[in-house]
Amino acid sequence: MNMNILAIIFYLLGALLLTTTALAVTRQQPVHAVLFLIVSLVTVALLFLLLGAPLLAAFQVILYAGAIMVLFLFVIMTMPDRDPGLDRFLRRRWLTPLFLCLLIGISMLLLIDLDPVATLDLAAARVEPRTFGALLFNRYWYAVELVSLLLFVGLAGAHYLGRQKS
Amino acid sequence: MTMMHFHLTFLLLFPLAGAVSMICCLPMGGRPLPRRVGETIACGASAGAFVMAGLAMWTMGDEPFRKVFWQWMAGPEFSSEIAILYDPLAAVMALMVTFVAALIHIYSVPFMRQESDYLRYFFLLNLFVFCMLTIVLADDLLFLFLGWEGVGLCSYGLIGYWYRDPANCLAGRKAFLLTRIGDAALLIAIAIFFSHLGTLSLTAINQQAVDLAPGLITLAGLLLLFAAMAKSAQMPLQVWLPDAMAGPTPVSALIHAATMVTAGVYLLMRFLPLLSLSPGVMLAAALVGAVTALLGAAAALTQRDIKRLLAWSTISQVGFMFLGLGAGSLAGSMFHLLVHGFCKSLLFLGAGCIIRLLRDEHDIFRMGRSLRLRHPPLFAAFAIGVVALAGLPPWAGFFSKGEILAAVFYHPGPGYRLLWFMALLAALLTAFYAFRLLLLVFFGAPPPDADEKRDPVFEPLPALMPALLWPLALLALAGGLLNCPLAMPGGHWLSGYLGTAPAPPGGEGSISDWGLLGLDGLIALVGLGLAWFCHGPADRLGWRLAAAPESTAHAVLRNGYGLDSFYRLLVARPYQAMAGFLWKRVDEKLVDDSLTGAGRSLLTTGRLLGLWTTGRLTTALQSLLWGAAAIFGLLLLGIWRALP
Amino acid sequence: MIVPFGHVLILATLLFLLGACCVVARRELLMILIGVEIMLNGAALAFVAAALRWQLADGQIFALFIIAVAAAEVAVGLALIVAARQRTGAMHGDDFNRLRG
Repeated sequence: MNMNILAIIFYLLGALLLTTTALAVTRQQPVHAVLFLIVSLVTVALLFLLLGAPLLAAFQVILYAGAIMVLFLFVIMTMPDRDPGLDRFLRRRWLTPLFLCLLIGISMLLLIDLDPVATLDLAAARVEPRTFGALLFNRYWYAVELVSLLLFVGLAGAHYLGRQKS
Repeated sequence: MTMMHFHLTFLLLFPLAGAVSMICCLPMGGRPLPRRVGETIACGASAGAFVMAGLAMWTMGDEPFRKVFWQWMAGPEFSSEIAILYDPLAAVMALMVTFVAALIHIYSVPFMRQESDYLRYFFLLNLFVFCMLTIVLADDLLFLFLGWEGVGLCSYGLIGYWYRDPANCLAGRKAFLLTRIGDAALLIAIAIFFSHLGTLSLTAINQQAVDLAPGLITLAGLLLLFAAMAKSAQMPLQVWLPDAMAGPTPVSALIHAATMVTAGVYLLMRFLPLLSLSPGVMLAAALVGAVTALLGAAAALTQRDIKRLLAWSTISQVGFMFLGLGAGSLAGSMFHLLVHGFCKSLLFLGAGCIIRLLRDEHDIFRMGRSLRLRHPPLFAAFAIGVVALAGLPPWAGFFSKGEILAAVFYHPGPGYRLLWFMALLAALLTAFYAFRLLLLVFFGAPPPDADEKRDPVFEPLPALMPALLWPLALLALAGGLLNCPLAMPGGHWLSGYLGTAPAPPGGEGSISDWGLLGLDGLIALVGLGLAWFCHGPADRLGWRLAAAPESTAHAVLRNGYGLDSFYRLLVARPYQAMAGFLWKRVDEKLVDDSLTGAGRSLLTTGRLLGLWTTGRLTTALQSLLWGAAAIFGLLLLGIWRALP
Repeated sequence: MIVPFGHVLILATLLFLLGACCVVARRELLMILIGVEIMLNGAALAFVAAALRWQLADGQIFALFIIAVAAAEVAVGLALIVAARQRTGAMHGDDFNRLRG
């Protein structure tokens, strides 16, 4: 393992990511959880940047942390106060998922470990936005159309679900 | 020989047709046929069989007549046919069987007058006669076995005739099961004969018997002896006969005095050429006979129930027949069979009259002298029977027993003298209990609790019933003439007819011959004296014996030496326990409950699975994670196993 | 050279599993939705790492699509939550059991 500056940055970011995500998951108040999640998403964006995807990092911040999480906050703010005792921390509620995830984690670890390719060091690279866009609209134009259709369906659905009963 | 063929075919067919026509007389949807019609057909069938038996005997020539009716089974190695062998032995037996059967059929008509179920009775009775004649005439072992089983079946049906009382059914079942044990032995013997001689024909087996190994002859002989012991109620298999008295009295007279119990003896007679090749079997037969004669007579001495007394007497007298066969005397055994058939059926029919008169009273201590005073002909006939049974000279029993005792005495084999002595004791006891019976029934003082002033009221008795006793009484009186031992005109007719050598080694008319006869007569008189002493007009023992509590020895003798309890403990209880176990633990718990349990477990599984369908979102999400974990777990397992 | 490819994948896996824990262990609908978002992020991270490993840009394109789908899904999901809250007054996963078998 070559300990250069990029590697150090990566591990730091990784630790930050895991910490903030863990914190987000275990908050009682949804607002706190969302705020921690925003930090975690920004960390992911930084990781994207590190891994050579600057456009994607931008999209992550703009769309994910910027739009989606804000939407979450809107909905949380408009919800009336709910009973705080409903979602209290129960050890037994967490035990089973933790155990199962441990199981899955161990098997994933082993799988990754057994793969000879996994020990390869990643070569630093960078995808220019121009290249990214060209690839997106040249080769994946069909997927783009479908995703736009999907967004439209989401829009229409949200609109329908949110209508006021007259 | 077509006349013979005709006679013998109809001899067998008449009773069978009688039985079948009983079924046809059943009221099937319409009005039943009049009672007289059914009774006439039944008695007519029986009488017709007797006529045929007589005609067949008349037209028989010098050679035994053998006829195959048809092939019953034929396989590549095995064949069996419906065949009959009519020789002098069969002729005499058939005549006796049909005569007694015809008499009893006619006796049954007034006896069963109150029964509405008479068709079943006559059906079984006719079928019984057919099966007995099958045994008498058969030349093929499987055909004989058919008759053998048939008489067992009819006996079971007739003992349990009054089936609504469960005790009668129990008695019938007991008889059937015990004779079945003997039938198993007979089947093994049949198998031995077939596997070693390749034939099932009696004549062929008797001829080829010399070809068998001596051990095999002894084995087959012992098996046949065992089968005969079960059928003829010898010790220790006699437990069914006293209980079989639960049936109607004519049934007891026919089946358990004259015919079925003699079927065992007859089987041994048919196989005598084979059996006489093995001295061991002969000794065993003689031993069984002597022991049974003695123990049976002792037990008869202590009985109170008139029919049970006669049953034990039958057991003892058939023992005499076994003894005679064991000593090699075919004529003596057959002579005693005939005489006993007449005497015992006479006594049973008389007992039937007495029981009917006294309104179903079986206890001999409750009968009395008023019986004799009001019904002298009944007393006379009964007395003839008793005297003939006891062996008082010059009546029939004296000659028949004398023949057997002489044969035993002169037999050169080891231990026969002891057997002769036992038989002598048995003869003494026979005379004792026979006269005791007569004195108690007809001369006894009335019971102390009865009203001395008034005469007991008797049931009216149909006149036909006592009238039928007289043919039998005449035969009991004159039967001695069949085979007189002395050099009288017509002497030894039966031996000559059966073709066996009559003369004892001591020579006819010798001192030992006379001495033996004298001893027999003396014994009978001593027995008479004893009975007179105990139960005579002085009545020394009569009521004291009846009223006092039973001593242990007396109880043992009366109960048949505890053999009933012995069998119950050794055989019936373990079998019942095993059957109960198999029923409750295996069939109900294991089989039934396991099936129910399987069904219930399916229901439970379904219910448990149903707990999963909560419909909640949380459950669905959790299940997703579980599923993913399961897949990865399997992956982990695969990785672990693939590791070097 | 940054880091071995396996390390990035492990990070993505851990992120994904954290999201799975959040989905299963939290009862509130909003928290469940947040857990789903975390899981999607983990997947996107894995894709981008794979794009770098194989030196192809297609992985990043798929990560973009993941973001787009997440957006659509959040919109509809939140609209559903709001509608459910208005109709039944419940925001708890345990309360919706009308489909009970």
